[in-house]
Amino acid sequence: MTGRPSRRQFFGYAGAAAAGAAVTGGAVASGVVGLSQDTPSTAAREISPYGVHQPAVAAASPKHAELVALNLLGGVDKAALGRLMRLWTTDIVALTSGRPAPGDTAPELALGNVSLTVTAGFGPRVFALPRLTAKRPRGLDELPVMSHDRLQTAWNGGDLMLLVGADDPVSVVHAVRRLVADAAPFARPVWRQTGFWNGTGSDGTPVTGRNLFGQVDGSGNPAPGTPEFEQTVWSDEPGWFAGGTTLVVRRIKLNLDTWDELTRSEQERAVGRKLSTGAPLTGTAEHDELDLEKRDADGRLVIAENAHARLSHHSTNDGRRIFRKGLNYVHDTGAARESGLIFLSYQADIAGQFLPLLARLDAADALNEWTTTIGSAVFAIPPGFQPNSWLGQELLG
Amino acid sequence: MKTKLLMAFIAVALPLLVSSCGSGEKTAGPAVQDAAKTTGVLVEDAWVRATAGAKDTSMTAAFMSLTNPGSADVKLTSATSPVAGIVQLHEMAMKDGKMVMQEKAGGITVPAGSHAHLAPSGDHVMLMGLKQALRPGDEVPLTLKFSDGSSHDLTVPVKAFTEEEEHYHPTPTPTSTP
Repeated sequence: MTGRPSRRQFFGYAGAAAAGAAVTGGAVASGVVGLSQDTPSTAAREISPYGVHQPAVAAASPKHAELVALNLLGGVDKAALGRLMRLWTTDIVALTSGRPAPGDTAPELALGNVSLTVTAGFGPRVFALPRLTAKRPRGLDELPVMSHDRLQTAWNGGDLMLLVGADDPVSVVHAVRRLVADAAPFARPVWRQTGFWNGTGSDGTPVTGRNLFGQVDGSGNPAPGTPEFEQTVWSDEPGWFAGGTTLVVRRIKLNLDTWDELTRSEQERAVGRKLSTGAPLTGTAEHDELDLEKRDADGRLVIAENAHARLSHHSTNDGRRIFRKGLNYVHDTGAARESGLIFLSYQADIAGQFLPLLARLDAADALNEWTTTIGSAVFAIPPGFQPNSWLGQELLG
Repeated sequence: MKTKLLMAFIAVALPLLVSSCGSGEKTAGPAVQDAAKTTGVLVEDAWVRATAGAKDTSMTAAFMSLTNPGSADVKLTSATSPVAGIVQLHEMAMKDGKMVMQEKAGGITVPAGSHAHLAPSGDHVMLMGLKQALRPGDEVPLTLKFSDGSSHDLTVPVKAFTEEEEHYHPTPTPTSTP
């Protein structure tokens, strides 16, 4: 993590914040600024908006998040898109530092120390605009429809994407409202998805988190900071996209009613992991390696042929990996509730890494019986920006 | 405490400011990231109110936050923009029981080690005699000049904002202080 210090970490918005700023000053090198121990128990913090990469990608999943996809209005060209990115950059810097966005109509809703992050992306159609056609990142194409997909147009595609996360839903909603309002001359929302994730254990330590099936979800991820993570996530394409990544958003409906009819051992067999700890059925701890050859007394594979953990494991996918994060969602219509997972996958190259894995899971994953993908979108996530640059500058400047 | 803060600021910020001097005009960062060539006043969060849809489209205002990391007060003394015939520094003041806008004599002070916030209903940079309508999503060049001799060339975004109508319709038409 890089995190050049923001000027505002030294100068509070109104000067009166100087005491807090002084406390954060010593910790800025980490990129994630934790407030002092004398701050009461809540883990208040700021995540620097600056960096080589957009900072939320490698950060822990936010407690509360909203994704917005927008479509460009007619006539928006490369230059106009640049103006929007400069606007968004300004807004992101202000909001993540706890200041109102310039021209904020509800400035009191801008709060600091809520771990606010904003990630922005470009859909494939951006690279159909004049003067951008040669800039399309490798492998950035809408995904083909899988046999188990039941896609609804309302949840598909988009030319631009914002993913806003924070410890607090009011801050998420406010940031989205500002960013969407400022985008109005350029783009209009086509879908929004709101989700939540609990990445903190009851003892306060970071945990992988669980989806609404109750599964520990994301155990197989490469760990941020490792060479595996770097190779999996960040593009090494020369040019503007170096340090960028791609994001796949899949809205997956979970059929909790039929899932709940299974016994626990049936549920565990479908995934190949224990519900209690997330450990593979062949191990005892969450991050134990899978033993894909191990058989039980009857000679049957302990991690079944069609278990999700086996099919998605990199050793069975020619070493292809992804970095996936999730957000649980519920969608209520009157008394009816739909539950699901906003599946987020980061990888350098969608066609090279994600698509083969998706096709494999679509063909055989035991979980397909209880899951239905109803939305799908792909975005290029440009590299991060610094205090003297703006989002997407290398592409649009 | 304040001194320490300033030292820390200067130590960390200086290399950033220096490193950003070479950036070209065309691709300069947004107004917020505009980098001073000295440790002079920092300009952040600048924006201009759109005139599209307003009753009087001949004038508008620019707002921003100014931070002075130095140990002496600095004044914003003037501003210019190619989109406006006249640019003045204004304040809101009570006159005969009414809030009116008037030119701020001597400019806008940015106190040492502190901020000046130019915001709707407060001090602002008044753009008059606009040569074109300013639509949300446009960008406006704006040059600020300070009493320490420094100047900032900004590219400021235009944003939609509903302003109290009379703030821009003072009677009589704004002129310099009597």
